[in-house]
Amino acid sequence: MNFKPLITYSGDRTLFTALQSKIEQAIPQDEIEWKRSYGRGAAKNIKLEAGFKSMENCKTQLENYNTQNYEIIKDPVLHLYVCECNDVDNYKSSLKDEIESWLKQLAGYGITDWMILIVETIDMRKTSSKILPRQNVIDKVRIDVGSKNGDRCVSILNPLKFENKATESFRSMINRMRHLMLTAFNKNIMKFEDIIRARREERNKENWNFITYFLLQEQLAFVLESLTLHSDALVQYDELEAIFNLFIHNSIYGEKPKWMKCFEQPLNSLRGITICKKDLQERRQKIVDETITIVEFKNYIFERQSILLNAMQNQWGIAQRLFPFLFSTLREIDSLRLETYNGTLSCWQFVNCLEVLNLCDCVIGTENIIKCSQYTASIWNHAKDKLYELGKLCGLLPFPGITTTSEQLHIIAQLSSSIGEIPEFDEEEQKEKEIRRSHSPSRKIQKPGCERLREALGSKEAFQKLYLELCELAISTYKHVSRLRSARFVGRDLGNFYCALNEPQKAIVFYIDLLRELKSEKWNVLVSQTLLELSNCYKKLNDNLNYTKICATISCCVDLEILVRTFYFDELLKSLKAIQPILDNSDKDSNNFVQFEDHFKLIDLQLLNNSPIIQDSVISVELKVESNFPREILCEMLAISFEITEKLPEKYTAPNEFEMLNFSIHLDYKQDNSLNCASVVSENKGKVRRTSSGKPDNNTPIIRMNFKNCLRKENVLLHPGINSIVLSTKAFEVGTWCFKQISCIFQKLDFLSKDITIKNKSFEITTKPSSASLHFSDLVAGIDQKMKLIISGGSFNFPKDSTMLLKCSKGLRLSLGNISDYQRTLAIKLTDFKLFEERTIELSALCELPCRREDTMIDQKVLLNCPWSESDIQIPLKFLPLMTASCRLHSSGNKKFLQVIVKSLYEKELILTDALMKCLADGVVITDLNPTSQNNVKVMKNISVSYLYEIEVEPLKTTNELPVISIEFNLMYAEIDKPDIIKRYICPFDVTDYNTLFYIKIKISTEEICRVGSICHLNLNITKVCENQHNDLMYEILYDQSIWALYGRSAGVLSMADMKETVITLDVFPLTSGFLPLPNVRLSKYIANSKTKNDNPKLIPFAPTQMYNATKSLQIHVLNNVDQ
Amino acid sequence: MTCSVAIISKDNSPLYVLAADMDKETELQYNFHSALDIVDEKSSNTANKNFDSFLGMLYATELYKIYGYMTNTKIKFILIVDSLNSALRENEVRNIFRSLHVEYTNYISNPFTIPNEPIFSKSFDKNIRNICKA
Repeated sequence: MNFKPLITYSGDRTLFTALQSKIEQAIPQDEIEWKRSYGRGAAKNIKLEAGFKSMENCKTQLENYNTQNYEIIKDPVLHLYVCECNDVDNYKSSLKDEIESWLKQLAGYGITDWMILIVETIDMRKTSSKILPRQNVIDKVRIDVGSKNGDRCVSILNPLKFENKATESFRSMINRMRHLMLTAFNKNIMKFEDIIRARREERNKENWNFITYFLLQEQLAFVLESLTLHSDALVQYDELEAIFNLFIHNSIYGEKPKWMKCFEQPLNSLRGITICKKDLQERRQKIVDETITIVEFKNYIFERQSILLNAMQNQWGIAQRLFPFLFSTLREIDSLRLETYNGTLSCWQFVNCLEVLNLCDCVIGTENIIKCSQYTASIWNHAKDKLYELGKLCGLLPFPGITTTSEQLHIIAQLSSSIGEIPEFDEEEQKEKEIRRSHSPSRKIQKPGCERLREALGSKEAFQKLYLELCELAISTYKHVSRLRSARFVGRDLGNFYCALNEPQKAIVFYIDLLRELKSEKWNVLVSQTLLELSNCYKKLNDNLNYTKICATISCCVDLEILVRTFYFDELLKSLKAIQPILDNSDKDSNNFVQFEDHFKLIDLQLLNNSPIIQDSVISVELKVESNFPREILCEMLAISFEITEKLPEKYTAPNEFEMLNFSIHLDYKQDNSLNCASVVSENKGKVRRTSSGKPDNNTPIIRMNFKNCLRKENVLLHPGINSIVLSTKAFEVGTWCFKQISCIFQKLDFLSKDITIKNKSFEITTKPSSASLHFSDLVAGIDQKMKLIISGGSFNFPKDSTMLLKCSKGLRLSLGNISDYQRTLAIKLTDFKLFEERTIELSALCELPCRREDTMIDQKVLLNCPWSESDIQIPLKFLPLMTASCRLHSSGNKKFLQVIVKSLYEKELILTDALMKCLADGVVITDLNPTSQNNVKVMKNISVSYLYEIEVEPLKTTNELPVISIEFNLMYAEIDKPDIIKRYICPFDVTDYNTLFYIKIKISTEEICRVGSICHLNLNITKVCENQHNDLMYEILYDQSIWALYGRSAGVLSMADMKETVITLDVFPLTSGFLPLPNVRLSKYIANSKTKNDNPKLIPFAPTQMYNATKSLQIHVLNNVDQ
Repeated sequence: MTCSVAIISKDNSPLYVLAADMDKETELQYNFHSALDIVDEKSSNTANKNFDSFLGMLYATELYKIYGYMTNTKIKFILIVDSLNSALRENEVRNIFRSLHVEYTNYISNPFTIPNEPIFSKSFDKNIRNICKA
């Protein structure tokens, strides 16, 4: 509504008329800051307009001013008194009285908003600038009206006469005028609001009329609008609408107020909204006349709201209000039980939708467009729905078999006329539209909604075109604001439309999009619906392959009724039969792939083998799968593929392996220190993530993975419900494997699963060589030694009764455990030897103790004959002899003695008992010379024990007869900690050269005492003890040259052939004093060169026992020379 | 029965659907599903501010008013009310949601309940029906 605040003028009318246009123009030129009364929002810069009327013409309004009849729109806001007065005298004489009476008149009405404008024609300031300022008229006036109102009096230079000089004073006058107007408005609005409130309180009184009230409050809206306070103006309409809605709503329950009669008029015309001044005025007039229908009235409110929102550049607000407006109106029509022609309400809704959309089409800026689209998307959708309803009603649906009946033609004609005409815009509105359009010239100019509807109702083609356009816009707008689900939902309508159009190929795209969306969020009921629709499409298209697949899926939809499912199952079987040839040829592409999960549910996958699995053994897996098919199916093949994986199998992490998460308690206190809120705060930013979060990706196409490695079973009958199937294959390749995919082939349809996500889906195939080894430490020969035979079976499959043979080298024997059943070849039974078992077998080993002099190690070996290998394993062993023994022959004259030295090498103590020397030869007598105390001796390591025996050979037995005497030394021994286990140590010795052949004697003879440097005689006496063949002998005197000096031949050859005894005398003298050892003699067999001259004579020493040196180790006491 | 209820998991799949009118179950389900668009929108907008579980009216059609509610664990409750039932004020809707939430909390507190699995409990169904009738 064009509303200009009204200002009355009084005083010099001609002068004002001259100024009026100038003032009217000046007021809206600049903005003024409006500080509203407290609580009314922030200060705002607004533009004012003003219209003028002489005060005489406003009598009634003036009278109403202070009454309940005050109307803010009609009543003047400010009263102006204009006069021209140049000198004070003039003022005093007449003007003063006139002003006073004017003020009195205003005061009579209770009006305080006035302004006095004194127009000066003479430029006083110019003349009086140098003289003392005289009191001028304006000051006088100000004094007269009182200092409080001084600012209501303004003087200006007459702008008509002093064009340039007057500018400043004129501008400040205009400013003052604006200011005073706003002051008045502040007051008037408050006052008017009070009046409105009072009126509203009376709403339950009998004669109260909503329409009157509406017109009253709307005035405030107009005023606020003119003051560019659009949002405040909007509030007025919102309030009015709310009150109206409440009235209508309450009318259901109680008596209807009288004024509601107006809104119970039949709805003959259901024109949609038009944002057009002419129409608005018409409607407002109808309101005033109380001839408006409810729809027109609601239209009017919405139109006004739209205009205000549009002015606020808040087009999305319009869109936001559309649905509440439409739906509340529909409900109100319903509750008032108003009858409408078939379809008119749909038309009305449709037109309104399109009008709002046209308004929103002007929006500029991405952010605004998105905001707008959040509402327009559903408006497009709604418009589409309404159009469809109309199409159905009017027989305009372009589906085969549908024709428009004459009755429907009639409806179309009726609707077309009730839609209304294209709104007539006045010039200003046209201009505004042009400006809007210039912001986005590329946008298509949309025809008014009523026009488009009329076109669509004109023909099936036009209808279809518009419907498809609306669908497309609804979908794209939904997508634009990323409401994908809603977009798919519209797509479903579009799909249904195409289906009905018999263009299923176009529909399929929409259904598939929808299906994907629904599947990913598991809306199973809707999924099955969509599947049914898809199956129709495929059937119509004769797309047997896809139809078959869809039938399979439908028959597995547990949400559907069993009858439907079995029907589709039968369809599946029929259709499968038909497409077998196609499936035969479709090996290359993925034609026969079907999603496993849509038909089956993998419940469990259990490896039946113990992990790890041995290479070349059979892997078996128990697959528990739930079949959703309504009947049993016989699958040609069920297979589970597995692939090698780098990753280690996931291990169960024990609870204590979890990282403790940091949480802390957080308490909020109120001001009075009482607890307000307690919370737990997680300090684990980024650490904590629910593993189940994240959308499962459902949109990957089905791919058949590599089934080179797979478990399989042929001809599997799958019953409805849970089936348990064991699949198996041979474990070929070593590694860590992971189950990947299930393939279930039913009549050449390949149901392929996604990646198997069941836990513990990995398993290991390994191979491990078998091995056997002996474990021991520091073996000692002669006593029982513990050993361990460790057999590690590895991946070898042992026959039930396999044995292992242990073969020992000579002198070594083994026995099982502690049983002293020593054998050289030991057979060990390996009964029930399991895979990877490690068995330890205790063994005892006994190595014969050889008679040895030296403590060198005894080498032994064991050969293991294992069931898994044909060749033996050789294990070398080294035994330390328990003890050593040596035997020596000693002579004393003709007597012979045997000394046996036994030395222990054993770490622990040994007990030696029952030493015995035996000789089996005749004529040899051995006499034990050992004391009885030596019968039981304990020895430590490295301790030697000697045993002494005399050996006598009968003289008759010559050396020739018995060159070697075999004797045997026997000794019993036991470990000190196992004294019961007594073993025998047998040492055979050979005794040779046991006869003494020669007897040697050395004597040094002096005259008296032997002294250093004095010559003595050394007598060497050699006696043949018994006859022998050694006649040629060589003697050598062996002496220390630092002790003895020798004269004569220290060596010589002699023959004892015929002699019994020989004496050789030599001269010697001692070189030093003391007890000196006598020189020694070595006697050797001398074998002269017999045949060839060149041969040197040979010296062969005698065995020590063949010579007896009677003076061996004798010493002689040598005194120092007296001379020295 | 006055209203239809859907309880929807955090992954947006339906856990429980109660349709006031079984004949219109499919349409209602589509409405529930579409409502998730707006739940997404609203919950992402208010992510940083003080989050109110009650999301208000999500949208309206000629026939229905659709309200939403989301718990802290992103379980969504959607309520579809007949638009003719204008007696139902927002506060009452709020109360219905609160009762639904309490009922769901009781249900999920059962240690034998598997979260995020469709709900088939008879007593739960009975309780929800009672809430919707009231």
